[in-house]
Amino acid sequence: MSNTRPTITRRQMLSTAACGFGSLALADIVHAMNSPTARISGVTSKAKRVIFLFMAGGPSQQDLFDPKEFIRKKHGEKIDSPLRKEVTQVGTEKFLALGEAAPVKPRGQSGMMISDLLPGLASVADDICLLRGMNADNPQHASATNQFHTGVFTEVRPSMGAWISYGLGTENKNLPSFVSIHAPGVRTYGSGFLPADHQGTPLTVPLTDKTLPIENLKNASPNDEIQRKRLELTRRQSQRLIDELHGDRNMEGMIQNMELAFRMQTTTPRLVDISKESKDTLDLYGIGDKETDKHGRACLLARKLSESGVRFVQVTMDGWDHHGDIRGNLPRLCKQTDQPIAGLLKDLKQRGLLNDTLVVWSGEFGRTPWSQDLSGTAPIEKHGREHQPESFCAWMAGGGVKGGLTYGETDHMGYRVVDSKVHIHDLHATMLHLLGIDHTRLTHRHLGRDFRLTDVHGNVVKEILA
Amino acid sequence: MTRSLTGLIILIFASPSAFAEEQAAPTKEQLDFFEAKIRPVLVEHCYKCHGSEAKIIKGGLRLDSRDGLLKGGDTGPSVVPGQAEKSLLLKALKYDGIEMPPKGKLAESVVKDFETWIKMGLPDPRKSDDVPKSRTLDIQAGRKFWAFQPVDDPTPPDVKNAAWPRDTIDRFVLAKLEAKGLKTVADADRYTWLRRVTFDLTGLPPTTKEIGDFIRDLSPQAREKVVDRLLASRAYGERWARHWLDLTGYADMMGTSNNVYAEHAWRYRDYLIEAFHKDKPFDRFIREQIAGDLMKADTIPERAENITATGFLMVGDVEIVEPDKAKLEADHIDTQMSKIGTAFLGMTLGCVRCHDHKFDPIGVTDYYGIAGMLRSSPSTHKIPFGVWSLLNSTELPETPEEREARLKLETEHQKKFVIMKAEQIKLTEETKSVEADLARLMKDDDKKAALTKRRDELTEQLKKLAASLHHAEFFRSKMPRAFAMHDSDTPADMPIYIRGNPYAPGAVVPRGVMSVASWEKQPEIPKGQSGRLQLANWLADKRNPLTARVTVNRIWQKLFGEGLVRSVDYFGSRGETPSHPELLDHLATRFMNNGWSQQKLLRALVLSRIYGLSGVNDESAMKLDPDNRLIWRMNRQRLEAEAIRDSLLAVSEELQQSEGGPGLVLEEPENCGDLALKGVNPPNYTHRKSRANQEFQRTIYLPVMRTNTTSTDRIRNFFDFVNPAQIAGQRSQTVVPTQSLFLMNNDLFRKRAKILADKLIALHAQPNDRLMQLWLTVYNRPITQEERDHAIKFLTDLSPLVQAKESLLWQELCHSLLASNEFVFRI
Repeated sequence: MSNTRPTITRRQMLSTAACGFGSLALADIVHAMNSPTARISGVTSKAKRVIFLFMAGGPSQQDLFDPKEFIRKKHGEKIDSPLRKEVTQVGTEKFLALGEAAPVKPRGQSGMMISDLLPGLASVADDICLLRGMNADNPQHASATNQFHTGVFTEVRPSMGAWISYGLGTENKNLPSFVSIHAPGVRTYGSGFLPADHQGTPLTVPLTDKTLPIENLKNASPNDEIQRKRLELTRRQSQRLIDELHGDRNMEGMIQNMELAFRMQTTTPRLVDISKESKDTLDLYGIGDKETDKHGRACLLARKLSESGVRFVQVTMDGWDHHGDIRGNLPRLCKQTDQPIAGLLKDLKQRGLLNDTLVVWSGEFGRTPWSQDLSGTAPIEKHGREHQPESFCAWMAGGGVKGGLTYGETDHMGYRVVDSKVHIHDLHATMLHLLGIDHTRLTHRHLGRDFRLTDVHGNVVKEILA
Repeated sequence: MTRSLTGLIILIFASPSAFAEEQAAPTKEQLDFFEAKIRPVLVEHCYKCHGSEAKIIKGGLRLDSRDGLLKGGDTGPSVVPGQAEKSLLLKALKYDGIEMPPKGKLAESVVKDFETWIKMGLPDPRKSDDVPKSRTLDIQAGRKFWAFQPVDDPTPPDVKNAAWPRDTIDRFVLAKLEAKGLKTVADADRYTWLRRVTFDLTGLPPTTKEIGDFIRDLSPQAREKVVDRLLASRAYGERWARHWLDLTGYADMMGTSNNVYAEHAWRYRDYLIEAFHKDKPFDRFIREQIAGDLMKADTIPERAENITATGFLMVGDVEIVEPDKAKLEADHIDTQMSKIGTAFLGMTLGCVRCHDHKFDPIGVTDYYGIAGMLRSSPSTHKIPFGVWSLLNSTELPETPEEREARLKLETEHQKKFVIMKAEQIKLTEETKSVEADLARLMKDDDKKAALTKRRDELTEQLKKLAASLHHAEFFRSKMPRAFAMHDSDTPADMPIYIRGNPYAPGAVVPRGVMSVASWEKQPEIPKGQSGRLQLANWLADKRNPLTARVTVNRIWQKLFGEGLVRSVDYFGSRGETPSHPELLDHLATRFMNNGWSQQKLLRALVLSRIYGLSGVNDESAMKLDPDNRLIWRMNRQRLEAEAIRDSLLAVSEELQQSEGGPGLVLEEPENCGDLALKGVNPPNYTHRKSRANQEFQRTIYLPVMRTNTTSTDRIRNFFDFVNPAQIAGQRSQTVVPTQSLFLMNNDLFRKRAKILADKLIALHAQPNDRLMQLWLTVYNRPITQEERDHAIKFLTDLSPLVQAKESLLWQELCHSLLASNEFVFRI
């Protein structure tokens, strides 16, 4: 608890007190709060920041990136189960092969395999590095999501955004270093045992006037002037106690944060406001179209935040958990996300940001090559797929990875990785490496032990570095 | 049954030379095979981590010599020559439980080669004399560490300022301060002390009347009267039960997936409140939580309590949707192990699931010795459909009165149910007849529209009724149950799970307790029992060097902000050492000698001189002891989320008593998902609707959801509530801007400010009287002249801005104070 204290001096504090509420430069406050705690380099970095596109639910890699001839040929027929007998799966008892939902074809110069369902992504195939040998350890959403974000699935540990913020500090004193748009749960943006200022700031893209981008952002008093006067008194009373006690860093931090929070009430809505963006930009992200509007706005906001220097921006797009009717559901999800994501990549590129921004796309796991039918009576064309952490696909772009590279290979049915496996720990190690951080040296002492994002694991995947 | 630990160590870390002698001289063909098929693979895929050039030898395993292979790593020999199927190395290559090399499985033909090679007897010309020595646990040496030494009863030291100490506790602290040349700050004033002790013991501020009573009471027993009053209150039980809940992973949800309701968890929460309220002796409290179901009980309520207490081992985050049930079992045992380790022993037992503890003298044999007891008491069962498991529960015995009350409820419920059923039949009949009429009608009949309308109405009504029937059926009054431990029919020792993997079993370990903290041979476990009772007795034994120390240290931390051992959950070698080792032992001994009474210990602590010190800084003391380790002043503490919310309700006088009971209101269909059990998932729940009054009850009574939260309990998300997947004896006190937004704008504050303002206005006509009352209510001290003048100025300045609306004017003032440091801290 003791290492969470901001480092504003008492002299600075008193100067604030003298000038009244809201007078301390915002930059100073945030700078004091975010001073980098550990700069663990050792490698030259290509990337300065990360945009992590998290596809919650587990998109199907067979349908999108890694089709198997064996499965296609056996579509609707029984295949041999590679599962351990102790493992229960429901609705997969018949063990039927399920061919891909739509054609998956070679794209770009590189011939990377991408589904017809993702025409936007297909058009930037040569900019992305496809990882087909992803591997995780848990087939449950909650656990797998925890592992993807924190490296472990049982304990509560800092999320990767918090680690990166901890390792690199902030690039922009006026913004938090880690923002999570539409965050899927507290543990995905928590700072665990790291100092609290590395915790992600959860943000909602306001689609209506009533939604607040950040909770409690709306002034509770009838107007700003009244609130300012109220907070002035709060500050005065708070300061009175600090003086009486001859100083208290936590209490001083509370006052500084109130200053910052007061400003956030006006800066945040301005930040999420996209009314001044050009029509071309809005169109690029699919903003305004019913299906792509929400994710389009989120992706555009991610670009704006990245551009302003937020170290780690996460955008979560959920709904990929297709246990049934994958042929009906997957195209819908692809439609909602493809243009916003492709738009983001194109926009980053045209602004020269892609070189030093690492974009990562992944779900918490993938899906089985065999079908699932929870009703037990649906025809094969209405089946879905079960969770599969054994192998799945992710992709990276920009920030020092090789564009156009397809890395990793799965077995004949697409269950196990047979070549160039990338475990979650390896992905984390590689992401840190690209940011110039040696993952074995980014540590924090807690309960007597030096903890790492990669725990005792992780290998940098050198083959994909540009 | 005694367990020979050294024997096991020999088994696991057998000396390499013993194997080396077995090797018959390999033939040339065999060696050629090795050179052609095996060595290149080892060099390419293994040496980087398991060879001499590796920075860290992964898993302690060396694969660059035959001896290295035979000696194996942390988890035992990697190969058994001639027996491929028993060789861990082959399992790893086959990705069976362990996966090596981690980058990707080697080709099938390569794996075959290794199989052949092992079957040949491991022909291998590589010699090595630099195979590192086996790491063995030296239990005897480990016992020399302070935390494993028997608890002492040190003589209180002499102090120069003999008039200062009030209790022996003060002498231990003062002696250290004097030795360092440090002086304590002055005593806190009476207002500050009262606010402090009231918060620390009950989590609530003192009322105006309580302040007045104490300030007027000039008798020497004034403080004692306050402390006795506070300790006797139910509010004390509510506060200290919540402290304990932080060590259990408590939530009203079983796991994080699908919000499956842990419908009996609240009974454990209520058990805790009662246990602290009634000052249940702590050794008994420990025994009940580990093995209450195995203890004798004299009365029916006592039996029910004993069973409920074992909820301690049940209520954590259980991934009940895990399809691999062997893994689910191993994971849940691990959660239980971590909990036992942290709560009672201050040891990170979770680390030992996969390997001997890296820093502390705890071995996998210790882990699996206790794990075997837990595995002999299964705590989940798979439901007949889908992949889900649920926590086990046990029926609780009822007193005749309880039984009568339940049967009465059931009868009432049955009546309602019969009426609903009858209605359903009636509506179904009518639907049939309407449909028959419709079928008979000609196409253009004018009755058709009316009949169609009626049919649709009926369909709608029937749909609603069906849902209500499901709901009623699901929540009909049933025998009371609690999530509880029970022994299996076939308790047994369990094998070590290599790398924590249930599919890689190693040697079987006799059930037993942690060797390094034992004072005699392993306890005898009667045949047919799990051994939990023996574990409980060992934990709660006066000779256990850890339990009492860990407990008193945690109690100290709650009062003084930091523990005597600052790493309250970890007493191991990488943890902190006690600032006052003699005081820690004095408290532990005193605690045990006073019948393990927490209240007696608390009473002595809060009445001590040291507890009554002011929280003011002192420049010269700061220089010598900036962290206040020697306690020359009181540490200030930000209130926990619960205390902030409860205080807000207290100052607005909205706080209501609660008798406990289920946190989530099942009577409200809004809180329940689809109960018809059509799919493969058990019903899921949300916290949409609270019970009437719940909004005004103490935070401990609000449901703890693992995923979604509602507005009534949002504050927990902002002020460092322990995530219910976490087991933590001390909360962090973060300072982040989102907290400020909460203080500034959240309705919890805004509404309380309004109610408080309106009360002040109704109570007093004069602003001065209102101000006096407000300061007493919010800060629990009189207002100063300077503050009064400024407050008047504030009101005057603000008045035109709020069009002189009195209620709003005073609301702004109240809100201002509620959001200030003095309200959210206790000093």
